[in-house]
Amino acid sequence: MADQNTSNTQPPEHKPESKMKHIVSFGAMILLTVAAFVLVLRDVVPVVWVLPLMLGFAVIQVLLQLFTFMHLDQKGSFYYILFIAFGVMVAVISVTGLVFMP
Amino acid sequence: MGTLLIMIVFGLFFAAIFTGGYNNTLIQRARKTTAWDWLTSVDHKKIGVMYFMAGIFYFVVGGLEALFMRYQLLVPGNDAFVGRTFNELLTMHGTTMIFFAAMPLIFGLINVVMPLQIGARDVAFPFLNSLGFWLFFFGALLTNMGWIFGGAPDAGWTSYVQLALNEYSPGPGVDYYVLGLQIAGAGTTMSGINFLVTILNMRTKGMSLLRMPMFTWTSLITSVLIIFAMPPLTIALLLLMMDRLFGANFFDHVMGGSAVLWEHLFWIFGHPEVYIVVLPAFGIMSDIFSTFSKKKLFGYNSMVFATSLIGFLGFMVWVHHMFTVGLGPVSNSIFAIATMLIAIPTGIKVFNWLFTMWGGELTFPVAMKWAIGFIPTFVIGGMTGIMLAAPPADFQYQDSYFVVAHFHYVLIGGTVFALLAGAYYWWPKMFGKMLSERLGNWHFWLFFIGFHLTFFPQHFLGLFGMPRRVFTYEPNVGLEYINQVSTFGAILMGIGTIIFAWNMIQSFRSKKIAAADPWDGRSLEWATQTPVPFYNFAQLPEVRGVDAFWLEKQAGNKEMTPAEPLGKIHMPSGSHIPFLMSIALFVGGWGLIARSWQIGVMGLLAFGVTMFMRSFDRDHGFYVKPKELLDKEAKS
Repeated sequence: MADQNTSNTQPPEHKPESKMKHIVSFGAMILLTVAAFVLVLRDVVPVVWVLPLMLGFAVIQVLLQLFTFMHLDQKGSFYYILFIAFGVMVAVISVTGLVFMP
Repeated sequence: MGTLLIMIVFGLFFAAIFTGGYNNTLIQRARKTTAWDWLTSVDHKKIGVMYFMAGIFYFVVGGLEALFMRYQLLVPGNDAFVGRTFNELLTMHGTTMIFFAAMPLIFGLINVVMPLQIGARDVAFPFLNSLGFWLFFFGALLTNMGWIFGGAPDAGWTSYVQLALNEYSPGPGVDYYVLGLQIAGAGTTMSGINFLVTILNMRTKGMSLLRMPMFTWTSLITSVLIIFAMPPLTIALLLLMMDRLFGANFFDHVMGGSAVLWEHLFWIFGHPEVYIVVLPAFGIMSDIFSTFSKKKLFGYNSMVFATSLIGFLGFMVWVHHMFTVGLGPVSNSIFAIATMLIAIPTGIKVFNWLFTMWGGELTFPVAMKWAIGFIPTFVIGGMTGIMLAAPPADFQYQDSYFVVAHFHYVLIGGTVFALLAGAYYWWPKMFGKMLSERLGNWHFWLFFIGFHLTFFPQHFLGLFGMPRRVFTYEPNVGLEYINQVSTFGAILMGIGTIIFAWNMIQSFRSKKIAAADPWDGRSLEWATQTPVPFYNFAQLPEVRGVDAFWLEKQAGNKEMTPAEPLGKIHMPSGSHIPFLMSIALFVGGWGLIARSWQIGVMGLLAFGVTMFMRSFDRDHGFYVKPKELLDKEAKS
């Protein structure tokens, strides 16, 4: 237990990354942004679907951002994931409270 | 336009002075003064001392405000501080004590002690540490400026809207609260981030998470709470600023805003805030109990678990401050149950402290007296907390002196007792001198008895129906006698604090340097020399278990085993930019309060300029040779 914790304090090892991965996710993020604009500007889908779809795109973009550009998939990112998860939890609880108990 | 021109000329003039283009010898002379040394210091111990002394100052200010209120309530129908003045006193008492006394005192102790406890030479971001302090300092100053210029905030420390909007609180009063707290809050968030990163990344060899002293553990959880609890306050204050300064309608129900929105945002911050100030207190107590019982802390792992659980649950109980708003029985029940759940980890802690003392080799210096006084006091506060957590009962207690008695039992009985205990305990490490035990005993007994005399009767005042935040009461309804006892107790607390101040002055004047390990301590801070050299450890120590220093002493070693060879040490250079940044925000904030947009914008622009100064600062610190290395070189 103790040793396992100590190893977390070491700086994470960075393995060399492929350029393709960056370019593909960058392209995907631009496409998702364009798709969101298209959803609003043109009547591609019924109106009730627009908001959920946009939120879905946003979540995918956040995940792409976190994993390709902020290296959450590499070793040693335990704390980042822990705190991001805690932040998401606090945000969800607070927003739920604000929305359902006005 | 003329004002603007004059401001620009003055700005250029000062810029010339600060960049050294005006009179270089003057700058050189200024740089050698002690004041410059403290203003620009990034040393965690000096910043900790400044936090601590600023906290003591505001503790006295808040205490005076409390004494004025108790004086007003001494007899029914008193006319010493009535109406708006009393509202200002109660608002500033709450705001000062929470934001400008409790938090800086805690940050002071964390700053001085935590890096020593984990075996680090400084915090992770020394510049940020300095900036955090100066933002707090100028934020607190700005909030208190209201006393002199245009009236202090008077809408309660919770600053509930409608009341806090322009219509019902005209004048700059609440603006001082909004902008002062915004600036101080930014500093607090920075310190939280700094402490978190320091604890996670700067521990010495062998100091795994589960070997950290309890105070460091509680500092870690507190930092997490700060990081997640301050943003809701920032947003709430931003919205209130928009409403008050720029005519927005976030909170005005007539224009489609929501008054409950403020209460939600404020308490989403406000409840974790309670744990922000009380968790480090638990940590201080744990360290003290263990040291003065000569025993390992009982149930260390369960303490860590309980602390984390309190931090976790702290974010899902905020509605218990709003039971009477009318959110409905389902919401109230859920939050009542969540609130009562917190009693479980807190109970674990209380029993662990008792079992730590059980069978220990107890000694009773002043620090230990505070710690022992803390247990029954805090338990009483916890019990009334459970009573208040039941919504049907809360409808009866709300807005009465029962609530006042409850939160003073937890905040003074928990936080203030612990901070004073910590002051007596860590004073030799902070200042290199000891506090007098004789004066300390007077301080403890006067303050302890005074505290219970002040606040225990207030439970009954509340049950007899005296509402809080009201400046007077009727004669012949059975409230006079209890109020007089309460005021008498407050005076005893005041005398105790004066004795503490005298004790501090005596210790500063004494020439006697304290021993490096006066309490036969257990954690790493006692393994440093007194006074602590600015690089803390000539060689970072290697840690072999919980209570690292105690283990080495038991094994017959006088010192910690070093984890690195003697060598040059890299230290950060001091910087005057945090001070300039904070002054810029102070001026900008004051400009906005005075509705002088030119000065407001100038302040913000100056802040931007200081950020550029920081960005292009190429100073990467310096190397020092520790005293030990110099001695060795002199020998050879």
